[in-house]
Amino acid sequence: MTKAQVIEVIKKNIVDNLDDVEVDGIDVSKSMKDYGANSLDIIEVVSCSMRDLDIKIPRSELADIGTIDALADKFMENVEG
Amino acid sequence: MSNNENIRVTHYIEDNGIAHLQMVDTVGKNIFSHEFVEDFIHELDSIEAAEPRVLIIEGLDDVFSGGADKESLMDLANGHIVVRDLVISERLVNTRFPIISAMVGHAMGGGLVIGLCADIIIAARESRYGAVFMTMGFTPGMGTTTLLPSLVGPYIASEMMYTGKRFKGKELAEKGCGFNYILPKAEVLAKAKDVALQISERNPKSIGLLKYTLSAPKKKMLIDARLQEDMMHTISFGYPETKEIIQGFYAQT
Repeated sequence: MTKAQVIEVIKKNIVDNLDDVEVDGIDVSKSMKDYGANSLDIIEVVSCSMRDLDIKIPRSELADIGTIDALADKFMENVEG
Repeated sequence: MSNNENIRVTHYIEDNGIAHLQMVDTVGKNIFSHEFVEDFIHELDSIEAAEPRVLIIEGLDDVFSGGADKESLMDLANGHIVVRDLVISERLVNTRFPIISAMVGHAMGGGLVIGLCADIIIAARESRYGAVFMTMGFTPGMGTTTLLPSLVGPYIASEMMYTGKRFKGKELAEKGCGFNYILPKAEVLAKAKDVALQISERNPKSIGLLKYTLSAPKKKMLIDARLQEDMMHTISFGYPETKEIIQGFYAQT
């Protein structure tokens, strides 16, 4: 799986979980908070994305991640193929 | 209220008989610590003594209530019976006046149950609501197993309880749940006040009579739930893995 595909999965879940956000309007160098996400929204986007990607990363390892791009990098370390 | 600078719960009553119980524990985020529950009951005592026409329960902008604290859960996991959370639901369903829950912020677990104990329930599109018990490895409590199905319907309640997912208000609105209103955050309190005003204009003696009748099924639901839930808690909190999951859950947050 490519990083672009991982980013697509994250973007889909951002759109599903936040109000008034469109896939094309998401800048991966930003944080989900920039799109109005609260802490529980972020947890939901992350856990939905991990289910879609069939990976499991402890929440403690995700705590310091600031941007959508950095989240995709963290996911890439754990996806197979 | 206990002697502490941090005010956890407070209340005021308007001249028109509308009471407001405000959970304002910015430090503990309205988690059911021993002190919080004590303050909650103390404030409710004062409100009941004043015989208001209607009560609005309010929380913080970000959190309505997060439910049980780690200490209570560990007590349960260690085989001790913790009754203090249960007092809240029992007291709320037994009031002589209608209650409106204005859930502007998130409500989880026991925090959601406060909402369920109300007669009228208003949530926010942006906030999240979850019966999160199972995410910590144990079965739901405080009356969730009977009160939640009566609000959202049995199938959505099952999904909420089995998965522990924190549903966004917007999602619940799309599912057509039984909430009276699911509104943008900024409009929740105004709507609660509007409904309260309408109730306050009715004959309070008849309102009290109606409350007595309408709350009877809820009182029964709570008694039925307690029988099953207490038994399930004795078993599920006894599993060794439950204690580990609770520890892990709170270590991450």
